[in-house]
Amino acid sequence: MSTSAAQIQQVQTIRLSDVCKSYGDYPVLKNIEAEVARGEVVVICGPSGSGKSTLIRTINRLEEINSGSITLDGQNIHAAMRTRELNLLRSRIGFVFQNFNLFPHLSVVENVSMSPIRVKGVAAAVAHDKALKLLDRVGLADKARAYPGQLSGGQQQRVAIARALAMEPPVMLFDEPTSALDPEMVGEVLAVMKSLASEGMTMICVTHEMGFARDVADRIWFIDAGQILETAPPEEFFKTPRHPRAQRFLADLRH
Amino acid sequence: MINDVIAIIQDYWLLLLIGQYPNGPLGGLANTLILSALSIALAFPVSILLALARLSKWRLLRWPVTGLVYVTRGVPLLMLILWSYFLVPLWTGADVPSFVTMLTTLVVYQGAFLSEVVRAGIVALGSGQMDAARALGHSSLGAMRFIILPQALYNMIPSIISTFVSTIKDTTLGYVINVPDLTFAASQVNNQLLTQPFQVFFILAVVYYAICWSLTHVANIVERRITRRRAGLSGDAAPVELVPAKIISEQL
Repeated sequence: MSTSAAQIQQVQTIRLSDVCKSYGDYPVLKNIEAEVARGEVVVICGPSGSGKSTLIRTINRLEEINSGSITLDGQNIHAAMRTRELNLLRSRIGFVFQNFNLFPHLSVVENVSMSPIRVKGVAAAVAHDKALKLLDRVGLADKARAYPGQLSGGQQQRVAIARALAMEPPVMLFDEPTSALDPEMVGEVLAVMKSLASEGMTMICVTHEMGFARDVADRIWFIDAGQILETAPPEEFFKTPRHPRAQRFLADLRH
Repeated sequence: MINDVIAIIQDYWLLLLIGQYPNGPLGGLANTLILSALSIALAFPVSILLALARLSKWRLLRWPVTGLVYVTRGVPLLMLILWSYFLVPLWTGADVPSFVTMLTTLVVYQGAFLSEVVRAGIVALGSGQMDAARALGHSSLGAMRFIILPQALYNMIPSIISTFVSTIKDTTLGYVINVPDLTFAASQVNNQLLTQPFQVFFILAVVYYAICWSLTHVANIVERRITRRRAGLSGDAAPVELVPAKIISEQL
């Protein structure tokens, strides 16, 4: 499921150092220090309004930061750069949204194949075949020609994952991917995410699915009021949380 | 009265259709159609550019265009037409044909109006689509072209068509600067007959109504076709057991 601890230490993929962000006077992220190694699965959890979504959105620069740096394989994502360069960098970070954000005017297979064609310049036929393979992988090969409006939430989210994978990103970010789903559809999306994790994908997930966190995560980041209060392997975090705020959070979850 | 109308059409149909052509400039209905088609064909791309400029993060682009849109919206079209007609030759010394003056003014005026429609369509989409496009590595322009505009323009088809129709009707104002269009031809006919203004202008009204109705009708067909395609209802697009998509269309 995950690489060994020794390997994790060797290759760092994402590094956040002293990241601060505020909306006006209101600080949302305070001096975030964190690292994600290649192949590692990190689950970010914490109460609502704690800055989880903002944090994950800064990693592909959908949100700007006020100070600090975020690097992907040593390259500073928030450095001043040409937009072309930023677009290229973004295309290497897959992002899955809470509300799917599929393109409703395109069929499912077009949703998946479009960005490789338009952004990477992949030949249309090649991108199309690849898209069909990815759709097969998320269990939706038969829906290739449907439109997003005809799919259930769980199916849409699986298409969104396939769409992100089509750019062959070394890193995938998930921003509450199951929060907008009906309960019976959560499982199908988590199953796809689990299979990704087992194949060694580097993943950062904001999620409230504590079962997923327990089973799949290598590490949990507990965040509250814009600060990472605790990082720990899941078994440790769930059994013996150190920070009082984390203890309270877990106690509230159990109710 | 119907007999009068028929008689007028029998006597003057050629003048109403093509003006004094080939002995004079092309006029009548032909010129009205050309002027309308050119105005719409030019105002539409202009409006998209203006809308993008209005949404641009560069002030140098945003401010002048915002100013232009505000001024254009706040000044009557007739005033703009008279200004361009009298001032442009005065400033430039060039002898601009009234047709070109009318076309340019209409393009600027309707372009400004249409740009607000387009802008509304883009803004109404919300930030999620742009976020998704950017996260996949699309450039702003690429995202606009392939993701945002296809949706925004489709959503705005009813408003866009209204503006197109109003463009066609506004070509009548060319009359005041002697653009030889259908209105101009009709008033020539009226001047010759002197006693039948109601009948003459009734013909005029019917023709304009027919043109505008045809455009609306075509637009409805196009809209319905796109709606059906996006709902996966056309041809062999999607398996039938799918959840039926919500189709919100005036016509279905």
